[in-house]
Amino acid sequence: MSSPSDADVIRCSLGEPEAFGLIYDRHAATLLRFLGRRAGAKVAEGLVGELFRIAFERRKTFDGSRASALPWLYGIGANLLLKHRRAEARWLRASARMAPGRDAADGRVSAAALDARLLFPRVADAIEALPDDERQALLLFAWEELSYQSVAEALELPIGTVRSRLNRARARLRELLEPKGKDRVRLR
Amino acid sequence: MKPLDLAKKLRRDAAFEPAALDRGKETLMQAIRQEVEPRRRLTIVPQIPYEDIRAALSFLERAFGFREIRSSRMEGADGVIHHANVEFGGSVIGIGTQGAHGAVSPKSAGIASQYVSVYVDDIDAHYERALAAGAQIPRGPRDHAREYRAYEALDLESHRWRFVQWMQAVPPSEQR
Repeated sequence: MSSPSDADVIRCSLGEPEAFGLIYDRHAATLLRFLGRRAGAKVAEGLVGELFRIAFERRKTFDGSRASALPWLYGIGANLLLKHRRAEARWLRASARMAPGRDAADGRVSAAALDARLLFPRVADAIEALPDDERQALLLFAWEELSYQSVAEALELPIGTVRSRLNRARARLRELLEPKGKDRVRLR
Repeated sequence: MKPLDLAKKLRRDAAFEPAALDRGKETLMQAIRQEVEPRRRLTIVPQIPYEDIRAALSFLERAFGFREIRSSRMEGADGVIHHANVEFGGSVIGIGTQGAHGAVSPKSAGIASQYVSVYVDDIDAHYERALAAGAQIPRGPRDHAREYRAYEALDLESHRWRFVQWMQAVPPSEQR
């Protein structure tokens, strides 16, 4: 017997609210990790219950033609994170400081790692400086590995809009790699 | 390196406390209860007296899968719990201090004057759970006229609980 889809469970929860607990059991760990990657453990732990409470209260608006609730939940989570921009920025900057170290597995500091050390804080700043909608699309795509379609569902946008936002975000990051003039950072 | 690969390098997982997911679920369950409760006002709530409410709550959760409704706990400044409610499958039972309202725990009375029937979905799994948590089992699971299967357990203070699973889709009491 196959288990009921998220859409089935949410439909059932309209009459039997307790059924919504199953949506939590299925997806809470994924969403907790998502929130943690964006804003650190403390904020994520405080938000995960809130995320599902909001989802529960809005469950009537869930589009039942979508089998999985995951993109919808990501969308609610992404919105919640907007209220925690400072924590998000702090976590991102700390991640930028730690990122290059992970490449130096052999203990030697390579030229590439040195370059990266200069570059990653700037990448973090650039991501931070993206308009909210572009940052959301970029991080759902790059970190959560959602498809264009899922990003579109999460952000409630047409897929074409997601594509153009991702292209804009990419272009802004590319400017970092190919800056004009003396500001250039070498990459290999 | 491509711009997206750069962004991917900054992906870093956080380390969570093990209980983080449980706490999140409790937030959700409170919202669910708030929606359910005004709709369905309980008309009968048995009150079960205990000497040690905190130990009772822990046992009832661990052994029987009851869940405390945290928002309704009455706790003194000294941390002593005076009353709590636990729920199971939409029904609620009060867990009170023995001596209050003239009710006495069988642990001090030496005798029980009532037992509570609880209807469950998977009685054998429930039995295993109760057993593992240290419940005493005066009567193990057995079938009754192919209509239901039941077992009885004693909790920490010797209150008797009878767990029942219907073996038919519609219980005879509801057949017309």
